[in-house]
Amino acid sequence: MTLSLDRRLFLGLAGAAALMPMRGRAATPFAFQASWINDAEFAGYFLAADNGYYTAEGLDLTYLSGGPDVIPESTLITGRADLTLTTPDTTIKAITEQGAPFKIIGAQYQKNPLGIVSLAKAPINEPKDLIGKTLAVPPVNVISVEAMLAANGITRNQLTIVPYAYDPTPLIRGEIDASVDFTTNVPYTIKLAGEEATSFLLYDHGYTVFNDTVVVTEDVLASRRGELVAFLRASRKGWEENLVDPAKYPPTWADTWFAGTGREIDNEVFFNTAQKPLIEAEGGIFAMSEDAIAANIEALAKVGIAATRDHFDTTLLEEI
Amino acid sequence: MAIRAILALALWELVGRLALVAGGALPAPSAIAIRFWADRGDYPMHVWATMQGAGIGFLIGNLVAVLAGVLFAVSPVAARLARGVNIAIFALPAIAIAPILTLMTTGMTPRVILAALGCYFVTMTATVTGITQADARMRDVIRAYGGGRLASLRLVELRSAVPQILGALRIAAPAAVLGSILAEFGGGGRFGLGAYLIGSLGRADPARLWGIGLAATVLAGVGYAVFAMIAARVTASTVAVTVAATPPAGDAPRPLWQRAALAAGSVLLPFAVWWGLIAASGAPAMIAKTPMALVDYLMLPNKAGERILDALAQTLPITAVGIALGLGFAFALALGSVLRPGIVRAFMPVALVTQTMPLVALTPLLVLIFGRGPSVILWITVSVTFFPAFVTMAQGLQMVARSALDVPRAYGASPWTVLRLVSIPASAPYVFAALRLAVPRALLGVMTAEWLATGTGLGNLLNQSRGYLDYGMIWTVAVLSVLLSVFFYQVVVWIERRVLARLGMTTAA
Amino acid sequence: MPVGLSLSGVSRHFDGRGGRVAALSGVSLEVAPGAFTALIGPSGCGKSTLLRLAVGLDLPDAGRVSVGGLSPAEAARKGLTGIAFQDAALLPWRSVEDNIALPFDVLRRPHDAARIAELIALVGLTGFEKALPGELSGGMRQRVAIARALVNDPEMLFLDEPFGALDQILRRQMNVELQRIWMESRTTTLLVTHGIDEAIFLADRVVVMAARPGRIARVIDIPFPRPRRAELFGTPEFAALEAEIAGALDGH
Repeated sequence: MTLSLDRRLFLGLAGAAALMPMRGRAATPFAFQASWINDAEFAGYFLAADNGYYTAEGLDLTYLSGGPDVIPESTLITGRADLTLTTPDTTIKAITEQGAPFKIIGAQYQKNPLGIVSLAKAPINEPKDLIGKTLAVPPVNVISVEAMLAANGITRNQLTIVPYAYDPTPLIRGEIDASVDFTTNVPYTIKLAGEEATSFLLYDHGYTVFNDTVVVTEDVLASRRGELVAFLRASRKGWEENLVDPAKYPPTWADTWFAGTGREIDNEVFFNTAQKPLIEAEGGIFAMSEDAIAANIEALAKVGIAATRDHFDTTLLEEI
Repeated sequence: MAIRAILALALWELVGRLALVAGGALPAPSAIAIRFWADRGDYPMHVWATMQGAGIGFLIGNLVAVLAGVLFAVSPVAARLARGVNIAIFALPAIAIAPILTLMTTGMTPRVILAALGCYFVTMTATVTGITQADARMRDVIRAYGGGRLASLRLVELRSAVPQILGALRIAAPAAVLGSILAEFGGGGRFGLGAYLIGSLGRADPARLWGIGLAATVLAGVGYAVFAMIAARVTASTVAVTVAATPPAGDAPRPLWQRAALAAGSVLLPFAVWWGLIAASGAPAMIAKTPMALVDYLMLPNKAGERILDALAQTLPITAVGIALGLGFAFALALGSVLRPGIVRAFMPVALVTQTMPLVALTPLLVLIFGRGPSVILWITVSVTFFPAFVTMAQGLQMVARSALDVPRAYGASPWTVLRLVSIPASAPYVFAALRLAVPRALLGVMTAEWLATGTGLGNLLNQSRGYLDYGMIWTVAVLSVLLSVFFYQVVVWIERRVLARLGMTTAA
Repeated sequence: MPVGLSLSGVSRHFDGRGGRVAALSGVSLEVAPGAFTALIGPSGCGKSTLLRLAVGLDLPDAGRVSVGGLSPAEAARKGLTGIAFQDAALLPWRSVEDNIALPFDVLRRPHDAARIAELIALVGLTGFEKALPGELSGGMRQRVAIARALVNDPEMLFLDEPFGALDQILRRQMNVELQRIWMESRTTTLLVTHGIDEAIFLADRVVVMAARPGRIARVIDIPFPRPRRAELFGTPEFAALEAEIAGALDGH
């Protein structure tokens, strides 16, 4: 294998340390930690960055990609990032149990995309269908699943829970009956493998929580309020434009944001399309309505997480 | 040889085409090649990024290793003091510290550190061995002309250590590649074969996973081959270097109180290094746990102790069984290599692939074949432990003096009788060396399988606490896995000393 | 200006499994400047220990060793001594000329290329300057070791069974050559050997040692004029001296 490096590839590799600095004129540095590797889950931010919305807001954005070992909240604590996306259950648990100084200032997914995915030929259409079956769950989401089961009167020992290693193959091969994954993503892969998928959201069966909640530390909230509002404004603009036609932008990122992720562009288009209804909100992208916050608090209480209203700060959204 | 390889490939193709293994989890070589060709645009940037992480780590790790090796060879006190740190680095299960590295550092750093750690032990021990085994007569020549220790190091010892060091670099090169890939898999970078792997896991495409795994294998193999070639060129003769499993002892006759002080220092030093690194990093206390903070954490009424004991009750028994099976298999294979060398030679390529393919790539594939029960843990553990154990034991069997073998032969003994009477007892030191090698690798295998396949034990606990921001638990599991490894290591050393003393033998490297 | 070697009341013992072994016990020996002395004795008589003490590789438990009035280590650092060992002890990665130059590197002196070339010619290795030790025969390697021992123009030369590993024929040739080299330099020389004929042929004085404890049994002067020729080995006078030394070795 010969390694000939063209300029684009070289620039790409310069970002091999997960850094994508966007230089603007006299802009304030601002670091954003994503919660996973580059896929359509972060389309709005890619678009906002490409179109210069952050630069226009006076931000010099550093985009940090995520991965299995990357705990988004940790990068806030170490000060490597100013803002990150999290799952609300872990963030609030860290606040209540470890006194972590976090505030949730917005929510990308009004409805958590996590759902129970199964094959159409052996469908699991509602929680009751899980009884006696084998369900693969990412260990991180075990609490969420247990909450959903509890809300539907199912006990943990009525089914078998195994870990889920990001690979839908066992489901396709019938080794497991269902898995917990983003319903926005994995049905595409299953279709590609010649099977039809069916799914339902945990959200629709009692686990009414956000996902990809926008989280900052109290310090940053106090000292960089202007930049945070600017980030939310630019990102909302990016998301709104992206969701107008979910099929439009992912193909344009094949050689930039999506270079080398090992995923298909069609997969990203599917993802982007499927996530549209989960992201869009009456109060605008990132909105957290009082009803939704109350539903979050109620759902989290079922798994013993004592969320309160003051874990959520909606005042920045009002300033957008 | 070529015919055998073609036959094996043809068989694999057939098995893949007919989807004989787990409904197509083992794709045909042609399918892998076709997938690879379709992905050819992706590979250069990932391979290049992995080469960077592995390359920088290789340079740093080996540089530190050679310097440390020189220090330990020159100063037995330093060697004795650093024994604890050296064993800890040898026994470190990479999977347990990868999350810590990602927590504490960023960008390329976790990759470089894991790659460097993979190189350190083998090169350090080779340097010490090379220096201490330099021809005493050559050293005398230098001293006879009034040359001191430095002149001797400069003119004789470092140079005579070169073949040993090159031999170690041969083993360090693949280790650096695997270290970098493991850090890439979790660390959140965009490029590197490990990053490619995490993006590809969700594709339900075994051919892609095999492609990445084989690319990693080739990269590791090229690293091995390059240094094997340099070694052959420089030394004009190959030195048999196996994976070392004994840190320099630095034992010298000295008063009891001095020995006790050194032993205590050796135990305390790793903790001091841990504490010092955290202090130097300036990371916040919520994330970076010092030894004292962990003690506090375990005192909290959060049932942490209970969860750890539950996890240990799952992890330890299967690790022990895995080690026993891995070593048993290795021993059988080593015996086979004496009785029927042909069979073993044909088996070697498969064995090499299992050693150089990243576990994070191998595990999902094995899950498809063996499911998610205890058996998949055992398969993974056996696959990571048997090869170094086999190499060590086969070497032991081959090192038996020819004259010792000739005596029973002269009385008409069969090959099996010769093995039973001479070779097997004579290889006892190598069995222990293999056991010392196997322990940390077995823990690595079990924890990876628990993380990615079964959702049990320490591997799962680590993954779960990562999700729950349970920093105290992440550190506890990491520290515990290192302590366990070191503990097992010391137990093996303790038994070994007694058994070998009874047999009138000495420890093998 | 050649210097002398002096040992007075030197003792050295080693602790081993079988208890304490007296390798040397109260040994006194004077080697005059410019003299050629041979040390001979059964194995275990301490002749190698004596040499290691004289070269400064080891220190005595009692007594004093001096080379030209200095301690052996001081003399070595000043470059007064030269040494050749039984097994040549060449560095396998250095060429013939670089091996010969090794003492310069240890003493941190500039390489004297002319001197090296001269020595290569003297030991008959012209044309092999760039060869590696692995490419040479045993006899050639030994000659390199002797050239190396002479390269710093030592005042005191130590030879530790330098031809011990060679066959009888080659050894006789080397003896003749060594005498020729020595006569050109007239360096004070101490030769440790287990060959009686070699000792008589080369030395002015043969010191016979005995074991348990290691000590000097007898000192025998060799009266033959120089240069001595190979024919000397066959003479009755030579045979008589051989018999006398063999007797001394047997404890008579």
